[in-house]
Amino acid sequence: MPITSSFRTVVKIAGESGQGVNSVGEIVAKSLKESGYHQFGYREYPSLIKGGYSCYQIDIADRPIKSSSQYTNLLLCLSRVSVHAYLKTLAPQGQLVHSLPALSFSADERAFIEQNQIAVEYVDAAKLALAVGGKAIMANTVIIGILLQLYGLSEQVVGRVLKEEFANKPEMLAANLACLQAGHEYQLQTVKKPTLPTERDASLDNAYLLTGNHALALGAVSAGVRAYYAYPMTPASSILTYLSQWYHQTGMLVRQVDDEISVAQMAIGSMYVGTRALVGTSGGGFDLMTESVSLAAMTETPFVCILGQRPGPATGLPTWTATGDLNLAVYAGHGEFARLVVAASDVESCYTLVQHAFNYAEKYQTAVIVLTEKEIAESLYCVTSLPAAVPIERHLLPDEELEKITPAARYDTSSPSGVSPRWLPGSSPAVFDTNGDEHLADGSLTEESQPVKAMYDKRMRKQAALLAELPEPALFGDQQPDVVLVGWGSVKNAVLDALPELSAAFPEAKIGYLHYEYVYPVRTERLQQLHQAGAKLVLIENNYLGQLGGLITQHTAIQFPTKLLKYDGRPFFVEDVVAGMTPVLTAGRTK
Amino acid sequence: MHMHDCHCEPSQHDYFSQNLYTWCTNCGNYGIHAAVKRALVAEGVNPHQAVLCFDIGCNGNGSDKIEGNRFHGLHGRIIPFACGVSLANTKLKVMAFGGDGGTLGEGLNHLLHAIRGNYDMTFVLHNNLNYGLTQGQASPTTKLGMKMNSSPDGIVADQIQPMRLVLSLNPSFAARTFSGDVRHMTKTLQAAIKHPGFSFVEILQSCPTYNKATPHEWYQEHLFDVESLDNYDPSNITWAREVAEDLETKIATGVLYQRPDSPTALARLANRQAMTTELVDEVKNYSITELLKKFQ
Repeated sequence: MPITSSFRTVVKIAGESGQGVNSVGEIVAKSLKESGYHQFGYREYPSLIKGGYSCYQIDIADRPIKSSSQYTNLLLCLSRVSVHAYLKTLAPQGQLVHSLPALSFSADERAFIEQNQIAVEYVDAAKLALAVGGKAIMANTVIIGILLQLYGLSEQVVGRVLKEEFANKPEMLAANLACLQAGHEYQLQTVKKPTLPTERDASLDNAYLLTGNHALALGAVSAGVRAYYAYPMTPASSILTYLSQWYHQTGMLVRQVDDEISVAQMAIGSMYVGTRALVGTSGGGFDLMTESVSLAAMTETPFVCILGQRPGPATGLPTWTATGDLNLAVYAGHGEFARLVVAASDVESCYTLVQHAFNYAEKYQTAVIVLTEKEIAESLYCVTSLPAAVPIERHLLPDEELEKITPAARYDTSSPSGVSPRWLPGSSPAVFDTNGDEHLADGSLTEESQPVKAMYDKRMRKQAALLAELPEPALFGDQQPDVVLVGWGSVKNAVLDALPELSAAFPEAKIGYLHYEYVYPVRTERLQQLHQAGAKLVLIENNYLGQLGGLITQHTAIQFPTKLLKYDGRPFFVEDVVAGMTPVLTAGRTK
Repeated sequence: MHMHDCHCEPSQHDYFSQNLYTWCTNCGNYGIHAAVKRALVAEGVNPHQAVLCFDIGCNGNGSDKIEGNRFHGLHGRIIPFACGVSLANTKLKVMAFGGDGGTLGEGLNHLLHAIRGNYDMTFVLHNNLNYGLTQGQASPTTKLGMKMNSSPDGIVADQIQPMRLVLSLNPSFAARTFSGDVRHMTKTLQAAIKHPGFSFVEILQSCPTYNKATPHEWYQEHLFDVESLDNYDPSNITWAREVAEDLETKIATGVLYQRPDSPTALARLANRQAMTTELVDEVKNYSITELLKKFQ
C-alpha cells in the first residue's frame, strides 16, 4: 500500500548510466529545497560507466523525511530499459513521461498501465533540445524544464541552480537555459500537475543538501584529520573525492594509496607518530585491512576506519545497499582484542560519529570502525543544520610529564581500565618498542607466562571500560512501548518515517524503535528493561542473519521472535516497515 | 606537538639495549645492528629522533635489542607503515628493515609503490636468500635448484634479483652492501640516511644456519665497491643497471645509483607546499562553515 496518512509524493528520474540522471536529480533536489519542500534523494545505479539503468528518486513531503517510498508518482524516463525496469514502481494513477520514440509495452505492462490508470506521455526531448540550439544530451535539461512546470518550481530558482552547475562550463549555459525553457513551456497532453505539500517551509532556504559521505568528510575535517588514505571502492570512494576537492582549503594530506593493506598501514604509521589519519573502504577492502586492525590493537595504536557497506559476499552488488558487515567489523582480525564499532544512520550521525571515533580511538588506543551503508553514503539528505562540532580529546601524556616518564610506563599493566599512558615518538627521551609481538611494559618481546597474561588482561580490560562509558541505544516513538523495533544503520529512517503510518493504522498500538548507534561492545540494559516490561521485540536489519540480533542474543539470551530482514540490495522502504509490522500489530490487536 | 629538545651529541651507547640478542652465532644481523647504530650516531640522530621500523623475521626479533622509537609490525607490511610515519613528522629519521621474504614475497607491491612515491625514508633489505625464522624455506631470492626446507627437490622458480627490480623503477637512491663489513655498511647507510627520499639499501647478509652455499667468506671473495671503478657515475642509471647485474663473480657494492632531482613524497604535494607545520602539529578542530556553504 502506498503511504496514505502523511503527505508524500515521489518523482523518479530514470535512464542509463552516462545519461546524467544524477545531475538532473541533484538540480531538481536543489530547486525543490529552494522552493521550500522537504525531501529525500535516493539513487539506484549499476556498476557500469555506460548503459544499464539507473534512477534518482526524490520523495517530497510536508515534513522532514529520511527514507524512500517504494512507489513512484511521477516517472521520467530517458532510456527504454529504465521504462521497463521502473514502470511497475508507479503507484495507482501514477504518471510516466518518456523521451523514447515508438516505445512499446509488453502485454503485461499494458495490463498494469490499464489497471492502475497510469498516464503515459511521450516527449521528444532530444528534438526539443536540438530545436533551441542545444545538443541531444541536453534532453536532460528539457526534462528538468518539464518538472519545473509540473511542480510549479520557479524558473528563476532553477535557472540559478543551473548557473551554479555550469559555473565551470559557461559555454554550455545558454543552450541549457534554452532547453530548460523549452521543457518549461512544453504543452503536456496527458500528464497533469501532481499534488504538492500545501505548506512550504521557508527555513529550507538555508538548509543543506548533503550525502552521508559529505557529512563523513566534513566530520573528518572537524575532527582534525590531517591525512586521509584510501583505495577507491564504492560506496566509500566519494569521501576520497570530496576530501581531495577540499584539500587546498583544508591543507589535509589526501592520498589515493595502491591497495587497502597499504592504506591501513600508512594510517597506523601516521597515527603512531601522532597525527589523525583516517581511512575509508568497503567490505572487500576492509577484509584486506583486517590483519592491520589486529596490529593496531596489539600495539595499542589508535586506528579509525570507515566501512561503507554494500551487499556481498565477494564483489556482490557494488552499487547497492546492505548491512551485512557488522559481524565482519566486530570479529575482524586474528586474536582477541578490544575495539569499538559504531554505525551511522544519516548525515548528522555521520558527521558526529567520525569525530567521536577519533576521541575513542585515542582514549582506548585501539581500532574504531565506523559503519555506514551505500544508502547513507550516497543518498541526499536535506537538513537545516549539522550538530555542533565534537571537541577533540587526545588523551596524550601531558607535556610536563614527558621529560620524567620512563619507557616502562607505555604499556604499564596496572590501570583498572587497561589504558596506559601514550606519548608520541620524538616528544620524550623515553623511547620504547611498539611491538606487534607480545611484549613487556616497555614493549620488549616476551614469551613468559605471567607477563603475557598480564599484558593480555590489560588489553582486554579496555573492552569493559569502553562498554561502561558508551551510551545506551536511543528509544524513539512511544517511551513505554508494547512493541519495540530494534535496529541500527539506515533502517532507523524508514522506521521513523513509517511510525505515523503505523499509528494511523493501529491507533491503540504503542510502538517504539530502539536504535543502536554504538553497536559493539553492545549495551543491553535498556533493551532488557523493555523486554522485562513485556514489550514485544521486532528485529529489523538490512541483512539475512539479523547480525545485531545475534550479538544481543549472545549477550542476553533474549531471542527475537519476529525479524524483518531485507537483503536484496535495496534499503527498507517505508512500505516495507508498514507491511512487516502489520501482522505483528494485527496479532497484538486480537489479543 | 612538543618535540623533546636535548642539544646532545648522540653516542653509540645511547642505542645500547639491555635485552640480549637471540640470533644465531655469526648471524649477519649483529654487524647490521652495529652499522645502523654507527650510522645514526654519525648522522647526529638521537634515539628519540629515530623511528626504526621492523618487519617480521630474524631481523625483526632485534626490534627490542636496540634503542630508539621502534615499531615491530606485520610480515611484509613495514614499508607502508614507515611511509605513513615519514609523511606525518619529517623531524623524525625513519628507517625500515625487512627481509627478502617479507619484502619481495608477501609485500612486494609495497616496495614498488614506496619507490614510486619517494617517501623520505631509508629501507634496508636484509637479503639472506632464505626464510630464516621459519627454519630455512625458500624466499624469492633463493637460487633456482637450491634444496630448502619444504623444497626437497630444489627450488623450481627463478630468483628475483632485487637490485635489477629496484633499478627498473628509476629509484631515488639504491645501494648495496654486505653484512660482514661494518665499515662499508656504516658508510652506505649514512649516505642513505642523508639522501632525501626513498633510499633502498640491499644488504647481502650471510645466514650461517640456512645458507651454506654463499657464506661470509664467499661474499668476501666476490665483492667490490663501485668507487673502485674509474669515474663511476652514480647518477647514470644505465651504468648502475650494468654493474648491478652480476651476482656470481664480481658483485658491485656501494651507492649504485642516486637521483639528484627527485622530490620527496611530501614535496610533490601542491597543497602542502606552503605549510611549515608537520601533520602531527595540526590536530585541532577545524571549522566547516566555509565548506558547508556550497551545500546550501
